[in-house]
Amino acid sequence: MSLLTVTDLRVYFHTRNGIIKAVDGVDFELQRSTTLGIVGESGSGKSVTCQSLLGLLPIPPARIESGRAMFAGTDLLQAGEQVLRKIRGHRIAMIFQDPMTSLNPYLTIGTQLLEPLHIHLHFSRKAAMTRVLQVMDEVGIADPARRINCYPHEFSGGMRQRVMIAMALLTNPEILIADEPTTALDVTIQAQILELIKNLQARHNLAVIFITHDLGVIAGLADHILVMHRGKVVEQGSAETIFYRPQADYTKNLLNSVLITANPRKFVAQASGNAGHLLSVENLKTYYRLPTGFFNRAGGQIIKAVDDVTLELQQGEILGLVGESGSGKSTTGRSIMRLTQVTSGVIRLQGVDLLTLERRKLRTIRPEIQMIFQNPYASLNPRLTIQDTLAEAILIKGKLTTADLQNQILQLLQDVGLDASHLRKYPHEFSGGQRQRIAIARAIALRPKLLIADEPVSSLDVTIRAQILRLLRELNDKYALSMLFISHDLSVIRYITDRTAVMYRGKIVELADTETLFQSPQHPYTQALLSAIPVPDPVKERQRRFMPYSPKS
Amino acid sequence: MQQTGENPTIESAVSQATPESGTSLWQDAWLRLASNKLAMTGLCILVIIGLIAVLTPWIAPYSYSDQNLELGAIPPSTSHWLGTDTFGRDLLTRIMYGSRISLMVGLLATAVALTIGVFWGTVSGYLGGRADAVMMRSVDILYALPFTIFIILLMVVFGRNLFLLFLAIGAIEWLTMARIVRGEVLSIRQQEYIEAAIAMGLSKPRIIFRHVLPNILGVVIVYTTLTIPNVILLESFLSFLGLGVQPPQSSWGLLISSGVETMEEYPWLLFFPAAILSATLFALNFLGDGLRDALDPRAYRD
Repeated sequence: MSLLTVTDLRVYFHTRNGIIKAVDGVDFELQRSTTLGIVGESGSGKSVTCQSLLGLLPIPPARIESGRAMFAGTDLLQAGEQVLRKIRGHRIAMIFQDPMTSLNPYLTIGTQLLEPLHIHLHFSRKAAMTRVLQVMDEVGIADPARRINCYPHEFSGGMRQRVMIAMALLTNPEILIADEPTTALDVTIQAQILELIKNLQARHNLAVIFITHDLGVIAGLADHILVMHRGKVVEQGSAETIFYRPQADYTKNLLNSVLITANPRKFVAQASGNAGHLLSVENLKTYYRLPTGFFNRAGGQIIKAVDDVTLELQQGEILGLVGESGSGKSTTGRSIMRLTQVTSGVIRLQGVDLLTLERRKLRTIRPEIQMIFQNPYASLNPRLTIQDTLAEAILIKGKLTTADLQNQILQLLQDVGLDASHLRKYPHEFSGGQRQRIAIARAIALRPKLLIADEPVSSLDVTIRAQILRLLRELNDKYALSMLFISHDLSVIRYITDRTAVMYRGKIVELADTETLFQSPQHPYTQALLSAIPVPDPVKERQRRFMPYSPKS
Repeated sequence: MQQTGENPTIESAVSQATPESGTSLWQDAWLRLASNKLAMTGLCILVIIGLIAVLTPWIAPYSYSDQNLELGAIPPSTSHWLGTDTFGRDLLTRIMYGSRISLMVGLLATAVALTIGVFWGTVSGYLGGRADAVMMRSVDILYALPFTIFIILLMVVFGRNLFLLFLAIGAIEWLTMARIVRGEVLSIRQQEYIEAAIAMGLSKPRIIFRHVLPNILGVVIVYTTLTIPNVILLESFLSFLGLGVQPPQSSWGLLISSGVETMEEYPWLLFFPAAILSATLFALNFLGDGLRDALDPRAYRD
């Protein structure tokens, strides 16, 4: 008999602009000690499904239209608040995506961990303490007796997620719902957390519902997979069935979007005859001094964000810059753009040293290097129509007649795959992928020689991601546009770049042709990074072993 | 220029749209405002009150200063629609004359506060660093000055003068505006579209006027609609201290404060000036809300 049976779940959001069918007829069963993966892109209803099980839906605007969710003889959808409170956080626990916001910053970890024990199980103070220390140890938090008095900000992202998992496990739940628990984490940390969840599940006979957009993550974990799209289950089956014999077109499309990134790029960038490099960066150092303050003990400390980076880029080449958060890859990009104060070094664009240029000269040379940002929701001015945004960029190169300007704008739109009917719209009327296209159009409007792309596809769904990457590659072919492609995602890097530099703590630890780097990584950190990538293939993924890297220092 | 091959109807439709920079925001905003009934009602009320204030010398039924003690304070009647005050002066006439002063204070002092405050706050927030520190500390110092003493000093040095009063009130109100604007600019500055603008090589003034200012309009407008009533009340307080408008001239604030004194015997002396002030403030708030929404493309979605 299954532990949880959901039948015909429908959740609609009643908004001013009409009814949004967030979940539209979902059925599934969850067996004891198995993992159910729910995969889908943003807006597919995967999170709403789980929120409705725990009574966490915002009602209104949400409304449960129909369905049953039977758990231990209780219908979770009909249960009152009193009953739900006894189940929630006790027999069904949940962990969330963002460990930075799911802990209260004003309370110590200990206070937050002890709370559920007092509330649900009426533990004595001493017994609760023993239990908390035991669980903290189990989730891999070293020295729990001391760490228990620390505040959330004293933990790293990965450690906070461990705290969240500890909190979920305290009451020995039967079901653990994990809503994108590793999406906000670096790939090496993700590998550790996934392993932890796998181990805990086996040891405690947990039933896990694992929500994710990443097929690689789910491949090794899930026994059974539910593929959701626009509120409907398009396909469900065992992990092997979904990955090796997908039936629905949507599943196939999803798998293709992931797999395409594994296709190596044909090396096209040849030095186009002209001597010298487009961009050369020598011994670049960007240090930050933490602000000094009377009460600030850390003040005056120097952070070496970029520490002695040297790299070169040729015309038409795409150079990848890969690393985890805090590795200095974005700061390198921003330093080349001169968006941040550089400490020392030389940055030459076609022989012109950017760092010694005076301000006015710098402004005239800026259009040569353009940037695409990670967040397409923040990179467009919300008060300007697309027409105005593009016109502004084009007119920087000089005045034009109205007709010429219109032609150029239309050409740009065509280049990035948008049509002219979008011109009078504002950014908020577009989807994330479309906005990223507009941002790309704005960047290439100035006919730059170099494009710095800072995580341009990280916030996009996989199917959109593949489209944008394809677009960037087309533009690279068409205009021989050089790119510095910054990303934490190795599969994206592998798909688009010619050469790749791996950054770790402000330094480049390895720089090689992308295929060479992926086939035979030399540096132990690169090896660790590569071993951490989840593979969208259940058999391979279950065998994959993560080799952590610890620097000798 | 490469031939785009777009079909001609789309192209002609697009070229009708003015490519001229900056126009679309205001045109769109006006269309959105016009479709907001509450805001348009507010605008109409303000226009009517404004027109009456301007035309008062020609349309006022009585003189604002002529006293007629025999009339005494009489309640509203057909000859004196809103009644008369204790000196026998027509209340309607006095409210009409009072609106000239009150609206002028409201507009001019707020305009002064708005100009200085937005300029100071934007420059301070956008430049950041040392300039920001110096500019904001000077705001802090001015905040610390007791403003009545400040205004008394101004009056003593420059003599009592209505325009000086407007300036003095504006010179106090801009401090809060500067702080609010600076905070807002600081957060806008972090946005990636500002970095994109810098990367394109746009000049600082252009970035500020085109990319920063339009995005802080919402806050500025809301705060402005809060400042205007504030300023009108401040004027009555100063007049009460003998620093502002002096009898026989009047302002709404003065009428209300003298109405309060005789509230129990002659309630209409309080009711009508207070009602007209409230109506103005309501109208301002509706218009302010409407403007804020109209200027934000995200607020409307059809």
